[in-house]
Amino acid sequence: MAYSEKVIDHYENPRNVGKLNSEDPDVGTGMVGAPACGDVMRLQIKVNEQGIIEDAKFKTYGCGSAIASSSLATEWMKGKTLDEAALIKNTTIAEELALPPVKIHCSVLAEDAIKAAVQDYKQKKGLV
Amino acid sequence: MGTPCHFALFDLQPAFLLDLDALAARYRELVRTVHPDRFADASERDKRIALEQAASLNEAYQVLKSPPRRARYLLTLQGVDMPLEATVQDPEFLMQQMQWREELEDLQDEADFDGIARFKHRLKDDQARLNAEFAECWDVPDRQANAEKLVRRMQFLEKLTQEVRQLEERLDE
Repeated sequence: MAYSEKVIDHYENPRNVGKLNSEDPDVGTGMVGAPACGDVMRLQIKVNEQGIIEDAKFKTYGCGSAIASSSLATEWMKGKTLDEAALIKNTTIAEELALPPVKIHCSVLAEDAIKAAVQDYKQKKGLV
Repeated sequence: MGTPCHFALFDLQPAFLLDLDALAARYRELVRTVHPDRFADASERDKRIALEQAASLNEAYQVLKSPPRRARYLLTLQGVDMPLEATVQDPEFLMQQMQWREELEDLQDEADFDGIARFKHRLKDDQARLNAEFAECWDVPDRQANAEKLVRRMQFLEKLTQEVRQLEERLDE
């Protein structure tokens, strides 16, 4: 299957690959997986005192579309508030990367990872 | 009557623990009875039916011989619909999966064949453990959620097994 140029760009030059300290009280970690493809995705955010996501990192084992989706997600999350980040939709990710229908679930995985990271942070801070 | 279930095609009762050798032998036997050679002089209708039967047998065999697919199928028979493209949040297990994939990357970089053999061994042990646990709980009504979680885990390990196989092929070249 042919990947779009944007997918290839994120796949070859992934943004924000890495790890934040999950024990840090200012860090939220989202860990999600897709059993059918065996994809595993970790997405982390570091939130500052103003409630702005100042850093985001990811590590994804999976296909090019899953890597590109999580790479793009971290790019978009940086500089946003938690509530703004939680509004990032899989459809927007899929559209930006021109994902074919069979790869839409990769963008869903990224959206679920964003939500899981935000949720983890909120739980740590007693916000939920 | 709808199509018989995969187990019924092999005269088996739905169960997770199966004798795979016996299953393979029975499959070969059944497939012979519907082989196109036997229908060379048959009517078009009989030919078509034989072909359909061969296809059903093959589909059933592929599902039954694979533990994750057999497990998922058993849950389907019980009315549990497990969508293929689902997101799982099973943090502890996923964390371990990520760690294993990192290890596998290192083994690949170092072309460490002994390490890969040990990795495969551990993977097999884990699969055996999951299978044993699933065999005990899949038909217990109040342990259904656990059975589903186990199927998801099996699917991940199956995929990882494929990746190890591909890695070995790459290193062999």
